[in-house]
Amino acid sequence: MSYQDYLDDKKVILTVATTGGIHGKNVNPNLPEQPDEIAEHVAACEDLGAAICHVHGRNEHGENDASRLQAVNDAIRERCDDIIIQNTTGGQSTLEARIEGIRTDPAPDMASLDMGPFNRGDHIITEHNRHNIRTLAREMKERGIKPELEVFNNGHLNEVYRLIETGLLEEPYYINLIFGSGTFTMPSPENVLNLVRNLPENSEFNLLATGPHQLPLTTLSAILGGHIRVGMEDNLYYRRGQPAESNAQLVERTAKIVDLLECDLATPDDAREILGMD
Amino acid sequence: MTCPRLEYRAENDEHEFDHLRPYCTVTDEFVSPMKADICNDRFDFDHEDHCEVFQAAVEAAAADDD
Repeated sequence: MSYQDYLDDKKVILTVATTGGIHGKNVNPNLPEQPDEIAEHVAACEDLGAAICHVHGRNEHGENDASRLQAVNDAIRERCDDIIIQNTTGGQSTLEARIEGIRTDPAPDMASLDMGPFNRGDHIITEHNRHNIRTLAREMKERGIKPELEVFNNGHLNEVYRLIETGLLEEPYYINLIFGSGTFTMPSPENVLNLVRNLPENSEFNLLATGPHQLPLTTLSAILGGHIRVGMEDNLYYRRGQPAESNAQLVERTAKIVDLLECDLATPDDAREILGMD
Repeated sequence: MTCPRLEYRAENDEHEFDHLRPYCTVTDEFVSPMKADICNDRFDFDHEDHCEVFQAAVEAAAADDD
């Protein structure tokens, strides 16, 4: 969790977020939405070094549908070797629907856990209140699911400390620092450094940044001893004006950067060990 | 009640899909997944209260009637 970790050759966990809940094929037709498409993208990313896949479910119209996560998980397990599956519990649906997304059989290895609400459009505020967060954390603990704590802004880091005090989390805490527009932390190297300095003891951090900030800030994360999330959920473009052809295209670039930094990517087993997962 | 301005289409001038997607006939654009929840009045959303596009269309129609 420091520059020294980077110098000490700490392995970097690479997560691919294939789909998300924000965009559709009308924005980038290469975005995978259906279970087989998602699994195909995940398999290609696993071959390139991704250790974790963060996935969402969509219905036949491309709309958000947590009940489709079972089919997504099944398709990934069929096509992939050992990649860690991380289901979303984010978005704007009801608490019940978000819980349904982690009651797949078998349970996902991991699940995202938003540490507070954020705005979308003029009227949408996601319902991540403290009660819902604790309910999801309890469900994850009971089912042996490792939570990935999503910190959309620096106030959400206060909420991480609050949740730790409840005893619902196990070390190391896996914290995903998020940078972008709107309610997200403003994307800058200074803000990355500030959040990293304020992380709890015994935590590992991952970094995601949206759009054009994905490439530079995830690279900074590796240098600070952190981990990296890339993928079309967060960035639909390979470079300015050039839509991404696939999730693999983004993962391949990051794998090359990590290699140029003389770091190794963590295998799924390495990631399980780093994150204290059984 | 679903927004009366919502349709499900497989194509428009710019795109062609092999499946139907939510489409707003006010903006003449396909709708994002999150916005589609408002169009369909899912969860606690109501397109009359929560969709600024629908509200603007209603106001414009009322102005035309004046």
